Amino acid sequence: MSKRYTNPYVIGVFLGLVLLFAFYTMGRGVGSSASFSRISAFGMALVAPEHTQTNAYFSRYFGSGRSPLMAWLVFLSLGAGLGALFSAFISNRIKGEVVRGPAIGVSARLWLALGGGILSGFAARLARGCTSGQALTGASELALGSWVFMFCIFGGAYATAYFFRKEWL
Amino acid sequence: MMGPLYKLGWFDFAYSLQIAGLVGFLFGFVLERAGFGDARKLTAIFYLRDFAVLKVMFTAIVVCVLGLLYFSLFGWIDLSRVYILPTYIWPQIAGGLILGVGFVMGGYCPTTSIVATVSGKLDGLIFIVGMGLGSIIFAELFPLLRGFYEAGSMGTVRLPDFLNLRPGVVALLVCFMALCAFSAAERVELVFGNPDELPKGSRKLKISASGVLIFLGLILAVGYPKALYEQKPVTAPFPSEEKESITLQQNVAPVEKPKTSHSFKIVEDEGC
Repeated sequence: MSKRYTNPYVIGVFLGLVLLFAFYTMGRGVGSSASFSRISAFGMALVAPEHTQTNAYFSRYFGSGRSPLMAWLVFLSLGAGLGALFSAFISNRIKGEVVRGPAIGVSARLWLALGGGILSGFAARLARGCTSGQALTGASELALGSWVFMFCIFGGAYATAYFFRKEWL
Repeated sequence: MMGPLYKLGWFDFAYSLQIAGLVGFLFGFVLERAGFGDARKLTAIFYLRDFAVLKVMFTAIVVCVLGLLYFSLFGWIDLSRVYILPTYIWPQIAGGLILGVGFVMGGYCPTTSIVATVSGKLDGLIFIVGMGLGSIIFAELFPLLRGFYEAGSMGTVRLPDFLNLRPGVVALLVCFMALCAFSAAERVELVFGNPDELPKGSRKLKISASGVLIFLGLILAVGYPKALYEQKPVTAPFPSEEKESITLQQNVAPVEKPKTSHSFKIVEDEGC
């Protein structure tokens, strides 16, 4: 189990180049939250097709005549999973566990992970993107709203970090 | 070749999905290298112990800001064809704040939860399940939220437009701000962080890298012509990009083909 991670500045340079490559080839940046939204829409359509396809928000994923999964970001997320798996594998970092601080139990941590996921999924749709799709991509394009969004992420997290300190410290 | 290749018709949708897989692979790979599959590493920034998240993000942003401007300066990319995220200021403020709470509560952001899940973290998987539920909740509440979702629409506003500065000057300011943030973060880390786990790096190298950044920024500030940035596409090339949401649903059946000479179309483009 190797904890030796690459220097963050080096990572940042490579991440910037990956992003630049996406801009150069596709004219757009990266992102991932929309792929979860699309997968949810796809799953919901299996259970309740009519309800999903007429849903005011999810209907946008069905308008093109393609499956909601045939989208750029879905494939990007799949790739991200493979890339991370490869990296974790070569550094011997694949290990089944629940990441938590010493002061919290497994089930409490998992409930908080679920709650955090629900908030994030909701917020990413509201803001039209997440940390990568909105903050990273948009900030690189110098988009005003994305810069505001990025500082609001830090604001929201720092403002509430105190209440979750037992989860991590 | 002038980019962006896809929007200039160099390859089709199917090929773009393969590019997506490649970009995603590299993206996931570098995030895992940084240790971003571990919620404690990620949230350490909120307890002032490890600012890796900030360093990675700001470095990537600086590289990409400079890269895009230099590419356009050299004529390698047509910035007017790069999809710029439109600003809807109120939902972005609210979404950012909620996402921040979700981050410190759940320990991940959307992309890093993928990294965590594939490296075996159960909490990452649960976070993903939560994100799916959150998206469904949003979609179900969308009729109520629509007014707010569209609130504060300002179109595609970029910082140079907003601040009324030349793009090169803004790039220089971004470099400067990032360097100040790095320096402050490293000072705070020394106080609160664990010295054994903090990344080491040579001071000389950091100072020379900072010098190079400022130099590259200065060149842009002096030499980047504003006119290059303000070039608007002659015809509105991809109508579906501009109003991603509402208009798209209303004409579901006949999706209008853009009246350009290109033989491809972009069905939909979304922010994230």
